[in-house]
Amino acid sequence: MFHKRLQQFVLVYAAGVLSLILMKYLLHLSDYVIPGPLEIWHTVLSVFVRYLWNVADTLWIAVLGHLISIFLAFAIGVAGRRASWIGSLIRAAAYNIQAYPMVAVAPIIFILLGDGLLARLLIAVMICYFPLLLSVISILSEPVDSVEHFYEATGRMNWRLQVRIRAYENIHKLTTVIVGSATMAMVGTIVAEFVAADAGIGYSIRIALYQSDLSKILAALFLIGISTSLYLTALEWAGDVVERKFQV
Amino acid sequence: MQIECQNISFQYPHTDIHVFDQLNCRIDGAGFHALFGPSGLGKTTLARMIAREINGYSGQILSDGTEKILYTHNMERFPGWAGIGDIISSTTQASDLKFLDTLVDTFGVRSCMNARFSQLSLGQKNRANLIRYLLQDFDMLVMDESLANVDETTRGRIIITLKTLFPGKIFLYISHNMLEVAKFCRQVIVLRSADKSPQAQSIFGQDLMDAENFSMPHVERTMLEMVHVS
Repeated sequence: MFHKRLQQFVLVYAAGVLSLILMKYLLHLSDYVIPGPLEIWHTVLSVFVRYLWNVADTLWIAVLGHLISIFLAFAIGVAGRRASWIGSLIRAAAYNIQAYPMVAVAPIIFILLGDGLLARLLIAVMICYFPLLLSVISILSEPVDSVEHFYEATGRMNWRLQVRIRAYENIHKLTTVIVGSATMAMVGTIVAEFVAADAGIGYSIRIALYQSDLSKILAALFLIGISTSLYLTALEWAGDVVERKFQV
Repeated sequence: MQIECQNISFQYPHTDIHVFDQLNCRIDGAGFHALFGPSGLGKTTLARMIAREINGYSGQILSDGTEKILYTHNMERFPGWAGIGDIISSTTQASDLKFLDTLVDTFGVRSCMNARFSQLSLGQKNRANLIRYLLQDFDMLVMDESLANVDETTRGRIIITLKTLFPGKIFLYISHNMLEVAKFCRQVIVLRSADKSPQAQSIFGQDLMDAENFSMPHVERTMLEMVHVS
């Protein structure tokens, strides 16, 4: 899985870098705007190890934020699946909050919490959580009549059994949603770092931007792609294990 | 024990199609009764109304001594996280576990009790599903195509066994198999389209209790009546 994902990423990344170099020579752009291939290579070598640690720092926050989002989305999603007023309220709130661009709230969070770990984590969670919550609610609120009918008819249905049935029947959808939301967690963390943090690969990109150093940005993008592929592959593998364990 | 439907009129929300228009019928006494008629005339709808799964109709359904009504159909599935034996046991009272054993043998599903539901054939699925309903507390069980995909001999054996094991219960059997319905049911309610009056007519079947007492002339007469009425 990782091999395939990596191949796809490297192809897209290489195409992007080649397009930039092509543009540079076709439009006669200076090295200041787009550096030459050799300069890019030298910069990559010089910043690689430092950026690797930065990406690891970002990935750690993204994974933690993702796990918190998953936990919260399932906890609130279980309540939001209900047809009662609580469920309607949660669904309406989630839908409306999700429609708002969370990244716009990031400066407020930095003002209140500073530019440390907590602010980065909170923004990552907020960007990842709401779309995840809506998907979880939508999956858990869909009745599986063919399985649930017996338990409803005989008065044996309770919320735990209902959630278990719906989660089991939609296990593939749920794992897909979780894998999909991992990218959001990564995006959220990088955006947070880019806006105001003092660590992580997003922060390094911001510094590179101030220096107008495209080579460093390209190096950072390469490492972000590799780390995201790695995380998504790990999640897909975990999803496969879970599906195989429960499905016959 | 009886169920009486009085002047039932019903149409599904947001449609102009009248499923029932002043329908009257009565299911009287324990035993096997059938709902029979072409597809789309409302057999399942009426059965689910009787089981109180559909409301919003006019008229009334009166029940006398028939409070616990269960409806089961042939598209039901078990949760897939355990074998069917475990799933059935989890919804069976401890005192009924011996009876479960009897039903498992009668229904011929002993060999697949450890299998997951998705691994069973259609006929095995239907039989397993019926078993778990039979182990519940009920006065009346509606069996909507519940023995579909089960071979004719096994079906007959199961119906006769049910009559013997549950002499005080009402079974409402929905099937398109005219011969089977005429042979095993004591009363066949034939549903007709809403523009015909009366919309439901009752015919007596042979109510076979023992395969040796099968009377072809009786069954043929019932079948002719069913064709004539519908």
